[in-house]
Amino acid sequence: MQRRSALLSGAAAIFAFALAFSGAGAKDSGFKIMMTPKWTGFPYFEAAARGGKDAADELGDQFVYAGADHADVTLQVETLQNFLTQKPDAIVLAAIDLNAVAPVLKQARKQGIVVTTFDADAAADARDMFFNQMSYKQAAKTMLDCALMDAPEGEVAFVAASPTSPNHSAHIKYMKEYIQNDPKYQVFKVVDTQYANDEDAKSYDVAINLMQAHPNLKVIISSSAVSAPAGARAIDASGHAGKVFSTGFALPSAIKTYLEDGSEKCFALWNPYELGYLATYATHLKLAGKLDLKPGTTFKAGKAGEYTVGEGGEIVYGKPLMFTKDTVDKAGF
Amino acid sequence: MSRRLPQWELTLVVFTLVAAAWSATLSPYYLSLDQILNSTRQFVYPGILAVGLAVVVVLGEIDISLASTLAFGAVLFSKFSAAAAPIWLAVPIVVAACAALGALNGVLVARLGLPSLAVTLGTMGAFRGLAFILGSETGYTSFDDSYLYVGSEELLGSLPISFVLFCGVALAVGVLMRRTVFGRRCYAVGLNKEASWAAGIDVAQLKIQAYALAGGLAGLAALVWIGQYGSARGDNADGAILLVVTAVVLGGVDINGGRGGILGVVLALFLLGTMRNGMGLANVAGPTQTIVLGALLIAGVLRPAIFRAVARVYRLMFPRLADAPN
Repeated sequence: MQRRSALLSGAAAIFAFALAFSGAGAKDSGFKIMMTPKWTGFPYFEAAARGGKDAADELGDQFVYAGADHADVTLQVETLQNFLTQKPDAIVLAAIDLNAVAPVLKQARKQGIVVTTFDADAAADARDMFFNQMSYKQAAKTMLDCALMDAPEGEVAFVAASPTSPNHSAHIKYMKEYIQNDPKYQVFKVVDTQYANDEDAKSYDVAINLMQAHPNLKVIISSSAVSAPAGARAIDASGHAGKVFSTGFALPSAIKTYLEDGSEKCFALWNPYELGYLATYATHLKLAGKLDLKPGTTFKAGKAGEYTVGEGGEIVYGKPLMFTKDTVDKAGF
Repeated sequence: MSRRLPQWELTLVVFTLVAAAWSATLSPYYLSLDQILNSTRQFVYPGILAVGLAVVVVLGEIDISLASTLAFGAVLFSKFSAAAAPIWLAVPIVVAACAALGALNGVLVARLGLPSLAVTLGTMGAFRGLAFILGSETGYTSFDDSYLYVGSEELLGSLPISFVLFCGVALAVGVLMRRTVFGRRCYAVGLNKEASWAAGIDVAQLKIQAYALAGGLAGLAALVWIGQYGSARGDNADGAILLVVTAVVLGGVDINGGRGGILGVVLALFLLGTMRNGMGLANVAGPTQTIVLGALLIAGVLRPAIFRAVARVYRLMFPRLADAPN
């Protein structure tokens, strides 16, 4: 009797062990991935969320998307804390403040949660990988290509958020370098750089002032998705349509009317849907043990294509999108 | 009056319990002591600001510069940490410096007789500007561990030290308002400034002290901030003042002064915290959360009107009861 129960429990133990082993070693789906944007309701981040959801569905993972309705870092930290309580396998986020989210993200990593950032990075030791939408040089080139569609030559002016905003300053630095050294862009002459603080009304005023100060101005270029559409509005309202153009990064929905009525010719961005898809897909690969974050490693992220891991876990998405009259409708965000 | 206040506080307790029960049905993760204790962390720094603001509001004034004072305090802490100064030296100096900023508000309001909303709207920008000038654009993150202790560590496994600090601050200010001459004078001035002045209360000095207290508490809140977020920058706690004012108003402190207490503010914070925690764990969409909390604030402001309306309906339904004395 005793022997039989010993035998039984032995068999049960082996069975349980086999189960546990197959569960731990071969887990390839059913991960819980939680995503939070800088703020919800913005078409850009909603598109990224759709991309993340599609990647998770494709891979058989559970996907949760949540966050506050305005960009407030304390609310983002609260959201992340709530995520932690729900014990996800991974967190994907666009950080509002790279430092302030670091403590809670470090806590997450200590609990074995994979942390991925996209669009805006967190402190490097607080996350596993960062999906950078575009390198500074690539962004600069894309905006200049758009400007070439607007005008074959002439005076250009830049509008940035502030002298200290890191990405805008870098974009302008590289655009100036290209205009100085690259024959393709030497047709342009930089006449001014102004600051509009990512504010709609300020951007509008700055654009009006630029046109008054520089009668021969051809293109106003801004990598602020607020300033570029505001520039288009100012050009339209002041009767400069067709003589001066606004370009740079903008959401398609914000500049669609200007492209369609012909007052503007080209704006640029990247595909936030695919960026969200890629970040979520790669996060899954990391969870399944199929992605090594050593620099130089290449991996395939489903329908988003192939990518290479860079220094410090940074992966550049790097696919600029240019919107013209013909393509703006297909953007879908 | 003193009878009606506990009634509102009781209502807040009931609301909080209902919100907790609701949260438990919304999310399976809600009902855990560790989770609930940990969630209090999110409300400590706005809570400390709210306790300070409550004192100012009881006097019939307002201070919307407190979140900026916090940012100034956080940046000042970063300077001490960078200079490797011991924390026991930094805390009193930062708290005193923030109290001085508060006192400046008080002087402008009380001595020069300027409207407090306008004064603190101005200093809100000025103090934040000061924090930006003093600090760096990228922020300071390499705090010494001793500076982070209060805002980041727990006691007994899951009780945040910052929450204990908040309870201590609330208790101390609660006693100050209810059991001391200072507190009684604050209520007297809030109810009737002229009569208080005629009775020999130095109204201006009292207001300066209240503003200094609120500013000093903002310095303490800065200590919690740097521990919790590990970062000091000019834009720290930007936009937090909305939640702080919400807690004070919802807590039953009359925005015209003279009525309400710290207990109500603490209970309002618990209610707001419970709702945010529950909805957050259930991953309720951001706009929905904002609408629910906004509705709660309106309910708090309309509270006296709602009570009156309920009383009127009651009289209409039971006219004989109400008219009995006639």
